[in-house]
Order: sequence, then C-alpha cells, then structure tokens
Amino acid sequence: MIDREAELKRLMIRGLDGDPVAWRMLLTEIRPALAGFLQRRLAGHEADTEDLVQDCLIAIHAKRATYDRTRPFTAWAYAIARYKLIDHLRRQGRRVSIPIEDADVLLADHTVEDGVVRRDLGKLLSILPRRQRRLVEDVRLGGYSVAEAAARNGFTEGAAKVSVHRSLKTLNASIQPPRGQS
Amino acid sequence: MKTDDLINALAAGIEPVRPARIHPLWIAAAFAASVGGVLLLLGLRPDLSSAMTGPTFWLKALYTTAMAGVALFLVTRLGRPGVAARRALYGVFGTVGVALVVAGVELALTPTADWTRSWLGLTWTYCARNILMMSVFAAPLIWLGARPLAPTRPMASGAALGLLTGAIAATAYGLHCPEATSPFVATWYTLGMALAAAIGAVIGRFALRW
Repeated sequence: MIDREAELKRLMIRGLDGDPVAWRMLLTEIRPALAGFLQRRLAGHEADTEDLVQDCLIAIHAKRATYDRTRPFTAWAYAIARYKLIDHLRRQGRRVSIPIEDADVLLADHTVEDGVVRRDLGKLLSILPRRQRRLVEDVRLGGYSVAEAAARNGFTEGAAKVSVHRSLKTLNASIQPPRGQS
Repeated sequence: MKTDDLINALAAGIEPVRPARIHPLWIAAAFAASVGGVLLLLGLRPDLSSAMTGPTFWLKALYTTAMAGVALFLVTRLGRPGVAARRALYGVFGTVGVALVVAGVELALTPTADWTRSWLGLTWTYCARNILMMSVFAAPLIWLGARPLAPTRPMASGAALGLLTGAIAATAYGLHCPEATSPFVATWYTLGMALAAAIGAVIGRFALRW
C-alpha cells in the first residue's frame, strides 16, 4: 500500500462504486500533481493553471466511467490531463505536441520515488503486525486523517492514535543501532 | 469557484457508475434506422427470401457484422483514455485481410473470363455510395451513443465511429444489394466502409470534443 498508484486506484474504484469520501480524497490527492504537471507545460500562461486543474477534475469526474478497473489509474488520469491541456492550448491557437511520456509524471509529486527508499520502507514496515501496518501507512503515507484511517482499518479513533504512536516507537527502535556499537 | 469547493461539490454528487460503452440499444437502433433507409430509398432485393437460403448472402452479412464488431471494439478502446488501441486496429485490418483472402481464393476458382463480372458485378458504380447513404441514417444514433466515452484522439475515434457506422449500414445494405461474389464484397463494401471511416475522421476532429 506504499505504492501510490495502488492507493489512488483503490480510491478510484471506491469512487466508481459511489463512495463520496473516497472520491473527495482522490480528487484532493491528485490535485497538486495535476497542477504541477499543467503548470510546467503552460510556460508563460501559468495563470491558467487553476482553471485547467478544475477542467481536469471535472473531466475526471464526468468521465470516470471510462476508467477500466484492470488498468493503472495514473495512465488514465494522465491521458485526460494531457487531452485537456492540448485542447486548451489549441483553443488559444497554439500548435502543440505533448509527448505521450511516462504517465508516472502524475505520480512524481508527493511520492517516494526512489525505489530503494520504497523497498527499505516496505521492509521496515513489515515488522509491524498487519493491521497496525495498514494504519501507519494510511496515516503517514496515504494522507488519511487519523479518524479516516481508523475507520478504514476498524479501529476507534483513540485506539488508532495509540496504535500509530506505538508502531512508530517500535519502528524507531528497530532502526536504532544496538547500544554500544555505533 | 474555488477548487476545494469544486471538489466537495463533485464528491457530494457522486453516484455509482458502470463502465462506459456504447449501449447495445444504440447499435440496434442504428441498424434499424439503416434498414429503414434501405426500405425507404432502395427497397429489398426481389429475390431476398431465396437468397437467404444460400450461403453468399450470409457470408456478406458475416463480413460486415464482423467489421462492426471490431470497429465497436476499436471505438471502445479509443474511448478510454490511456488505453492502447493497436490490438483493435489489427482486428480491423485482420478482418479486411480475411475478406481479401476469401475473395482471392474465389477468384482463383473462377474462370478468367468471368473475373471482371465477379469483381465489378452489376452495381459497383453505386455500391459504396449506397453504403454511405445508409450510413447517414445510422450515424446520428451511433454518435449519440458514443457520448459516454472519452476519446482523447478525436480523429482516430471519429474514424472508428465512422467505420462502425459504415459497417452497420453495409449490413443493412445487404438486404438490397443483389451481388453475390466475394471479390465484389471485399472491394466495394470495403470501400464504402472505408469512406464512412474517412468522413468520420473529419467529423470527429470537430464533434468529439468533451
């Protein structure tokens, strides 16, 4: 679940099933990535970014049924953002070609990009019991509030707070070098 | 409107959705419209009931329905952002390829003296035009039916929709067309459907924005 793609995809699928909380979370999550992606390509017209972000969010909402649940979410969202960008630039009479580049650009912001870091993090978290682990991931990596993460994983909010706190302590302890050896 | 408000508004109004597609009812309606066009403007072939007992009538229908099938697949792929359409495109060319091979085999079995007759039939000058004419009846329904999709490549999607329209129209046109040879069908039916695809590409350029 550290995998951002997997997390977004899960939110997407819950959104398709009509879950407003997941849907708001998804749109909120991808908004900064959309803004970053669009802004970099709106050279000289950065003022249009926010309008275009809104266009993309509306399109993602209105066309959500075109998402195929077996495929990567990011590739789908990226194709929509790219289409909206091209449409926008064309309307301004600019000739454009946006390469069909790696859809991962939408993942670039706010994510643990480095595979090594990601793997180490996974290894580290694997020492936690499964439920605690999911909770920590949701709160610390998934961007959920403690209350949301608690609900998702079947904890009360208080218990979740305590559990996250303990988990972090355990993790901290596990990466401290043994005494007398540093 | 602020983006946060927009997100809240969108999320508040969300409902469960099923995967986007052209609903089969639109396809059926488009076919019915084309059949209506045939009845209205061209009339059924006089020997229809006896033709329906032979294989060539159904082979023709098989070719155009198969084309409609792969065109629908292509439309659906192109209508989903971020999905590759190459495999569906191979399907289109594969279908034409099979028709050409069948036509070639049939031609090889035909005495050379009859080749022109087999290839041009009696109606080659207006077969493609008639298919386009029947497409006009089917087109509005197909294009309306495609609205749930999200084509990110308008010209390619327009061509695919045009091909689908043309294939449906060609299937209906089979009720009028008296020709029975594969070389004829592989050439002139294919031409008619290809023209429909070409017109679709131009229309798609303007009509498929969302």
